[in-house]
Amino acid sequence: MALASIWTVEFRLLSVHPCSPSSSTRTRKIHRFRITNGIPKEVLTRTQEFQQHCTTSVSKFHHQLVTSIPMPQFLVNLNVGSNLPIWVCVAVVVLFASLRTIFSRKKQPPGSVADLVRRGQLRSDRRGISRDPKFEDPFDNPLVKVSKNKSSVEMCGKVYRLAPVTLTQEEQTVHQRRRSRAYQWKRPTVFLKEGDSVPPDVDPDTIRWIPANHPFATTSTDIGEDFAHKNVSQKSGVPFRVQAEHEALQKKLEALQNEEELNKVVINPTNAKELARPFNSHAEKSSLNNQLKDPPSSKLDNGPNHFEIAPSTGEDQNLKL
Amino acid sequence: MLSLHHHLPGTTTNANLQFPPTTHLRHSTPFPKTLTLIPPKPHLPPLTPKALLQWNRKPQLSGETPRVVVVTSGKGGVGKTTTTANIGLSLARLGFSVVAIDADVGLRNLDLLLGLENRVNYTVVEVLNGECRLDQALVRDKRWSNFELLCISKPRSKLPIGFGGKALTWLVEALKARGDGTSGNGNGSTGSRSPDFILIDCPAGIDAGFITAITPANEAVLITTPDITALRDADRVTGLLECDGIRDIKMIVNRVRTDMIKGEDMMSVLDVQEMLGLPLLGAIPEDSEVIRSTNRGYPLVLNKPPTLAGLAFEQAAWRLVEQDSMQAVMVEEEPKRGFFSFFGG
Repeated sequence: MALASIWTVEFRLLSVHPCSPSSSTRTRKIHRFRITNGIPKEVLTRTQEFQQHCTTSVSKFHHQLVTSIPMPQFLVNLNVGSNLPIWVCVAVVVLFASLRTIFSRKKQPPGSVADLVRRGQLRSDRRGISRDPKFEDPFDNPLVKVSKNKSSVEMCGKVYRLAPVTLTQEEQTVHQRRRSRAYQWKRPTVFLKEGDSVPPDVDPDTIRWIPANHPFATTSTDIGEDFAHKNVSQKSGVPFRVQAEHEALQKKLEALQNEEELNKVVINPTNAKELARPFNSHAEKSSLNNQLKDPPSSKLDNGPNHFEIAPSTGEDQNLKL
Repeated sequence: MLSLHHHLPGTTTNANLQFPPTTHLRHSTPFPKTLTLIPPKPHLPPLTPKALLQWNRKPQLSGETPRVVVVTSGKGGVGKTTTTANIGLSLARLGFSVVAIDADVGLRNLDLLLGLENRVNYTVVEVLNGECRLDQALVRDKRWSNFELLCISKPRSKLPIGFGGKALTWLVEALKARGDGTSGNGNGSTGSRSPDFILIDCPAGIDAGFITAITPANEAVLITTPDITALRDADRVTGLLECDGIRDIKMIVNRVRTDMIKGEDMMSVLDVQEMLGLPLLGAIPEDSEVIRSTNRGYPLVLNKPPTLAGLAFEQAAWRLVEQDSMQAVMVEEEPKRGFFSFFGG
């Protein structure tokens, strides 16, 4: 404990010494008196030797540290007048770079799509605004190189040996004959639900039986073949079913308006939108009922007229308000 | 019983086989260096977006358009949908107008691979029902506007199979009659026009979906992997296609691993060809990038830089355009000749 206290005191003295020599000697003396009160003289002499040794070693280290660090040449020979062109050039470059940044930002309006692309929210190549690619021949480009004797090909940095295809036309014909013998198959043209009776004039080999719980195929359809063909080939205009539903609703509305009771009612235009929803649901129900009752061919003949059925009483009440 | 050890001359067992000097890798003319052949034109026509594309050379479209190609396999999981997406977009990149029909009624996935799953609102079922027009059901890809996707049905809906095959034939007719009816041959505008290629992604199996998908097709691309299960199904499907009158059948061997071929653990592409007796449209090496591109909804052929499988798909698309087939296949990777190769390194 005594040695530790001595070391602490010495450390304090050393640290204080270079800053204020006069005050430090005074405090040193005070400390020494305080310490010497309870410490023998041998210890005191040892402490003084140690203090001197430490002081000299620190001063030596400080001297070596200062002399070993070389001063930069431009600080030693600091002459502002001769380096003025260099500083001007540096300033011009910095100014040019900052102005360029500012102007490049001002080119595009803020918040444009280019900003989104820059921020990574959008991909330029997905929007078709990327630079036009230069198409390479897939058989001769930097990534695909065929050797001169065509015995090897280098693809993506790997070299592969090539072997010629030896399949002849005769071999192909032999395989075709083999398959035609092995697989006797006729394309199914008639699809029947399991349990249906086979039509009399149908080849049984061309029938494909579809189970009732087939995951994606069904034999039942609510649209006729001609109707579907017509829909597929429609190039423009309103789709047939949408138009049919619209016309049916229009006719229904006209019919209702012609009734005496409805004529008396003044329909508020703001309430018209509310009327549309029960009207649509009713029309869908009625069309579904029709599809279930009637065969598809009869619906085709009827066209949009199949929506004209007597309105239910509930819906009537809604309309009459 | 299929044998794994049939070897033709030129397979992996013949390591010293060399090409005769007159053998060309492809039927087409030797590679013209069009960069040097293009003379400077004094009066350039007004540039269309297509004309801005730079080409070293272009494939020559052969056959009557629209070319209706069904991509089928028999076995599931061999890469039909991946092939359809990549070949379709490759064809679009080559400038041809392409419509890809996802005829996999129950389990459609082509929209996912193309990253168009959020844009499919209408399908063929809605078109047939008259709820929308055909052009409304076609989903145009924003990356390549000459590529369009048409899904045949929504995942949980049922296709009226009674005229399923006929419906696809009507679709092809309607697409053919679209626009002014003239084929673009890869030079036309990006507006609606008759497609050059209609690719039909066929469902696995030989069920009603298969029958529907192959109905309008004139040619078929058979996808198989070099394993006996896929080969048996592929042979069966080829037989059915030939019975149905589709004679132009080419095959793509997918997921080829040259390291396994070298170790005699996998059939080589030539072994597969010997078993099926079909001309080769392409051989696609196994590539981990396929799964990444599927996850991203970004087909492999659009990757920059292109990957090995992407390049192979592009080559297959090129051959499809020119109705060409492979004349040489990659059999094994050659060891690298480095500084230490002298010492056996």
